[in-house]
Amino acid sequence: MAGRKLIVQEKVAASTLLEVVISMVIIVLVFGTAMMIYSNVTRLSLSVKKTQAQAILLEMMRNMESSKEITSQSVVAGDFTIEQSVKSYNDNNDLLSVDLTAYDDNHQEVAELQKVIIRNDD
Amino acid sequence: MIRASALYLVIVIALVIGVLCSSLIVVAYFYRSEYQRKFRYDRLENNLNSGINILLASPDSAYARQTTFSLFNRSDDSVSIQKSVWGAYNIFTVKSFIQNDTLFRTFLTANAVDSAKWSAIYIADDDRPISVSGKTSITGNVFIPKAGIQTAYIDGKAYTGDKRIVIGEKRTSEKKLPVLDTDRLKLLDKDFSTKGTTLGNKDSLTWSFLKEIKIIDFKNEEQTLKHLDLKGNILLHSDTTLIIDSTVLLNNVLVFARSIIVKDGFHGSCQLFATDSISIGKDCHFSYPSCLGIIRSNAPKIISQAKISIGENTTFSGLIFTSEKKPGSLKPMISINKKDTIRGQIYSQDALALKDKAVIYGSVFTNRFVYQNSFTLYENYLINTTFNSKNISPYYLASPVTPVASKKKKILKWLEGN
Repeated sequence: MAGRKLIVQEKVAASTLLEVVISMVIIVLVFGTAMMIYSNVTRLSLSVKKTQAQAILLEMMRNMESSKEITSQSVVAGDFTIEQSVKSYNDNNDLLSVDLTAYDDNHQEVAELQKVIIRNDD
Repeated sequence: MIRASALYLVIVIALVIGVLCSSLIVVAYFYRSEYQRKFRYDRLENNLNSGINILLASPDSAYARQTTFSLFNRSDDSVSIQKSVWGAYNIFTVKSFIQNDTLFRTFLTANAVDSAKWSAIYIADDDRPISVSGKTSITGNVFIPKAGIQTAYIDGKAYTGDKRIVIGEKRTSEKKLPVLDTDRLKLLDKDFSTKGTTLGNKDSLTWSFLKEIKIIDFKNEEQTLKHLDLKGNILLHSDTTLIIDSTVLLNNVLVFARSIIVKDGFHGSCQLFATDSISIGKDCHFSYPSCLGIIRSNAPKIISQAKISIGENTTFSGLIFTSEKKPGSLKPMISINKKDTIRGQIYSQDALALKDKAVIYGSVFTNRFVYQNSFTLYENYLINTTFNSKNISPYYLASPVTPVASKKKKILKWLEGN
């Protein structure tokens, strides 16, 4: 209630200065390490960007396997620039070596997919 | 008195945070390792498919032995590929591996059908017409003699089919049939002189296609197989007659013998090759891809007719062929009985005998047709039979031994994999 006096019947022993300082140091170290671990775990875990890029490359490869005209080119798909390199595989005219590389806005390589496919003549 | 104990409290908090952090690290570790495993699996799958494409696009003679190489000259793209002949078809094996992880597939392949050569009937031109009678139906393109095709009144039966006789294009055939692949026939012929081990007391055997072929040799003893279950990379060989009972289950198995008798009611998927004769009983069911083939590269000591005969009401999917290098006076014959249904191809080097209500969905190559009733033998008469080259699965693939096989190889059936 307002205006009522707080009566402390028991004595509370205070921590020593040394104890408080050590506690502060420990708590800072522990929190610092925890933050480092957390940031490392988040940084090193699978990025959504990489998964997206891989899914786009797989889809592109599937389309290329069923299309007749395949050439080396650069295409923009979603947030990525895909470099598409096509060449004949081991001098076999029926086989094509396809190399798809996805780059982000900073031109950093995000994902890569290489496959040997059969030239589609149907 | 309550103790302040700041240090004690901090240690407890630090312990709690420590537990949380270590569990976070463990979760992240497992997540990462699982992700890496999935990534490795995707890469292996990708490399495996590349290996499959390399095999499908390479010439027949390539990769007869297991070949291991790097796909793109990187450390994580090794594949091991191999081709082998499996009767009338081919078996391809592909393995892709990164460190200790391996993916493998074994599959049966055949060739796409050459649509220009695919026909309901191809009969060699021997300067006489083909005659049709009764309820005969021919759907699809045909290669027939210049003399053409006409209706006839046979056995008291007039022609009651479609007025066009042939529902499809009529083309002129050559004097000789297009030939079977001689190289493949030579390879098949070698298997007649193969040697192997005995079956022992086993009543079932499954043999992987990743292993060396298991040859079970019955030598000169006439053998009747009963209550037996054989699957996979197995070749049964006999220098004499081999009798296969309906209680035998054969799945992807090859049989090479002088003559083969299959009892009534047999069910299975197998390739049977003989030098003298193959006799299939009634009510049998051979599922795709099966094969019945007579291969006679040398003239027999005792003159006999190379013959494949199929009992009534039997269903067969695959290839039936006869091949005799130097035909004698008794020429090879394929006999299709009443109510038989053949899905696939028939290649008869000489005669093809057809009975009432025989149905052929696919393609027939023959020198002549034979129809026999109780009194008379008719040549090049088609009576109450159905030919339809269109009523076959669009995924049907032709054996590379046949003349309708194009160069394009395709996957026919997955056999093994992980």
